[in-house]
Amino acid sequence: MSASIRNRLFVIAALIVLSLWGLRPRKVEQVRTNADGSSALDSVTHYGPKLGLDLQGGIHLGLELDQSKVVSTDPKRDLQLALTVLRKRIDEFGVAEPVVQLQGDDRIIVELAGETNPEKAKQVVQRAAFLEFRITDKTLALEKALPAMDRALRQLGVTAATLQGSAAAAATPGTPNAVSTLLGGDTAKQADSLDLGEGLLSSLIRPAGGPQFAGMPGEYMVPEAAADLVDSLLSLPTVARELPRGLTWRWDPEEISIGVEPFRMLYVLEDRAIMDGTHLRSAQAGIDPLTSGSIVTFELDYSGGQTFGRETSRHVGDYMAILLDGKVQGRPPVINSAIYNRGQITLGNKPMEEAQLLALSLNAGALPVPLKVVEQAQVSSTLGTDSIRQGVVAGAVGTLLVVLIMIGYYAFSGVLAVIGLFLYILFTVGALSVFGATLTLPGLAGLVLSIGIAVDANVLIFERIREELALGKSTRIAVDEGFHRAMNAIVDSNVCAVVTALFLFQFGTGPVRGFAVTLVVGTLASMVTAIFVTRTFYLMWLARRSPTAPLSI
Amino acid sequence: MRRLFTNTTIDFIGVRKFAYGLTAAFFIPGLILLLVRGLNYSVEFTGGTLMRIRLEQGATTDIGAIRKGLSDAGLHGAEIQQYGGGGEFAIRARTAVAGTDVDNTAATGDALKAALNGVIGEGKFQVVHLEGVGAKVGGELRQKALLAIFLSSFAILAYLAIRFEWRFGLAAIGATLHDVLGTIMFISLFKLEVSLVVVGAVLSVLGLSLNETIIIFDRVRENEKKRLPLDLPGILNLSINETLPRTVLTHGTSLATMLTLALFAGEVIRPFALVMFFGVFSGIFSSMYIAPSVLMFIRDKWPQDPTHSKGRAVTSKVATA
Repeated sequence: MSASIRNRLFVIAALIVLSLWGLRPRKVEQVRTNADGSSALDSVTHYGPKLGLDLQGGIHLGLELDQSKVVSTDPKRDLQLALTVLRKRIDEFGVAEPVVQLQGDDRIIVELAGETNPEKAKQVVQRAAFLEFRITDKTLALEKALPAMDRALRQLGVTAATLQGSAAAAATPGTPNAVSTLLGGDTAKQADSLDLGEGLLSSLIRPAGGPQFAGMPGEYMVPEAAADLVDSLLSLPTVARELPRGLTWRWDPEEISIGVEPFRMLYVLEDRAIMDGTHLRSAQAGIDPLTSGSIVTFELDYSGGQTFGRETSRHVGDYMAILLDGKVQGRPPVINSAIYNRGQITLGNKPMEEAQLLALSLNAGALPVPLKVVEQAQVSSTLGTDSIRQGVVAGAVGTLLVVLIMIGYYAFSGVLAVIGLFLYILFTVGALSVFGATLTLPGLAGLVLSIGIAVDANVLIFERIREELALGKSTRIAVDEGFHRAMNAIVDSNVCAVVTALFLFQFGTGPVRGFAVTLVVGTLASMVTAIFVTRTFYLMWLARRSPTAPLSI
Repeated sequence: MRRLFTNTTIDFIGVRKFAYGLTAAFFIPGLILLLVRGLNYSVEFTGGTLMRIRLEQGATTDIGAIRKGLSDAGLHGAEIQQYGGGGEFAIRARTAVAGTDVDNTAATGDALKAALNGVIGEGKFQVVHLEGVGAKVGGELRQKALLAIFLSSFAILAYLAIRFEWRFGLAAIGATLHDVLGTIMFISLFKLEVSLVVVGAVLSVLGLSLNETIIIFDRVRENEKKRLPLDLPGILNLSINETLPRTVLTHGTSLATMLTLALFAGEVIRPFALVMFFGVFSGIFSSMYIAPSVLMFIRDKWPQDPTHSKGRAVTSKVATA
């Protein structure tokens, strides 16, 4: 065996080893959600390339900055910040091989393989996690402002009578009146079931307190059924103006039952936060040993602790509301003494899972600007498994047909091409694995398709060899010439195939990108097998025979 | 040695008038249909909600029942498709309006599911795929798809201009655009849904058709260097005939894999395979007729500088030949 053949065989062996190494089994951590809502990590063994969401099931989210409420001054920077925050959150979320990446200049793509709960996923990526602490109002400002607010409402024409009138109007669509236009039909509809007094807001908002229930300054209770209505009434500019400057109002999103009636708590708070989450060092979920409710304990950094200590020492005896994304978390605790760098957020009877998500969001930091979901896809793992099975069947049948055609037409040379074809499949799948590419359903289809196209280079070469043989050239020369003359056509057509695939990659999203990657890798692999591997087989065959022995082609 | 179509002397160029007739017969009604009916874009492009469900063992329903159930729930105009032996349904509700984000379509998903619970029964079916796309995203994607087709055409033109010569490049692009347009008409004719995967197929058709044209042009380039006593149509005919066995073989194998994909690879891939299947035939046709015709037309209008056509080494001999 000549040195050149030995070197060629060595290269082929190296490629085979590299491909097999790429296909080696690897352990992947996967989240399992238990029946009780807790989640655990499972270790699963995967083979071959990473599978796209459409093949293994999971959730895909496309996110953009939501500038409807907060306008970003530097969207590029905010998107980068959001990306960093999301990476941290998703890492802690613990999904196997998550994808968090920028797409274009305004979108973030999050892909969570194996995750089945889209609501949970959205909560993790969308929660702004903006934490702040504010002191509740002690000046009874809302009580004092209520009569003026009701006067303002009357001037707008909003009274108990018109509200209930609009509820009736909302029940018969197509006849909107002034009030439902002002407040929105659904809100107005609520009024129907309510017991409304002459002073609208005065009848709905009461200072918190009652038998066995002590209120605190700045705390008000609103019947659960009226919460949305009160919210929209307070939001009217002429009404909001009546609340003294420097104060604002926030809701506790959870309803509280007092007696038999469900209420929601409304808090009047100082506009200025005494501390926010930027100084947060770490947060941890836990269980309060006294109430056995869920809590999140947190620690502030040094300078945060200093500020917090100074502020809280000035407010001993006051109540401090903890707000997350503008919503009050549980009833504000009283400040007994200065708090420095440790504190806790009480979640009451919410599940432990929620406390864990909150801790995770706080640890990863706040999003600079809220994100909105612009695209969402969710694929069950059964569909993915079916797709793989169907793709493999199609691939096997397709390969069989190609093998039959090639051997049937080219006989011995066809056998060489078929060996090359199997190496082609190995190299392509191996390369996808080695380069960490993701195999998607279109990618799988592209792979099957490429099996039919991969033999093109072989066909070009074989036809050339036949032509040279027909001209009366000896086998050895015909083989050399055949490879040589087919080269131009093979290179030109493959370069064009790669160019179109690159453009496809540039424009496409997840699955289509997978297809483009498969095409590029497949095209390159087919050139290697057709030009190099099959040539080596010919050289080996020729080395054992006389230069004029007939070739089966 | 088994041989097919070897040493043929078919006069492809001579009968090209019939080919023009065939193109016209497909393109004129095709274009009218395309303009009248347009394309059936998937939710990825239009924005909206796609839900694919699979019935559990023993559960039955049909399109009519689902449609009625959805209408009763106020979800009108949803498209419902049954496949996979009857046990699977795809439901497309295009309710996203411009300016809303996906929460709107996610809500549509919830409403769909609630309505289906009423029709089929809760727990008697499984949602295997749910997809919601905001309208803005869909609009962008359409632009990007068109851009990808045009930009790749230009990149290829540039490559071919370097490797061959701009006349060849332009002729190849002409043939390729014929195929892309023809494929889009095919999609419209058979009401196939234009999904991202189908756009991928159209771009692959572009690649395959180019490949075919390049193989023939490569032969033309080579034959022109041989200084055979033939005019351009003669050389084109010779080149097409010489590459015919390869055309038959290569497309035999690629059509075989497309056929298996269409038959076995499931509902998502079938349109992809069908589009490619058509594209291969269109690609062969255009490489044999459109590309040579365009090349002949261009050569006629802008005759080639002889120093390029015959290769540099033989320049001096060309003058006397």
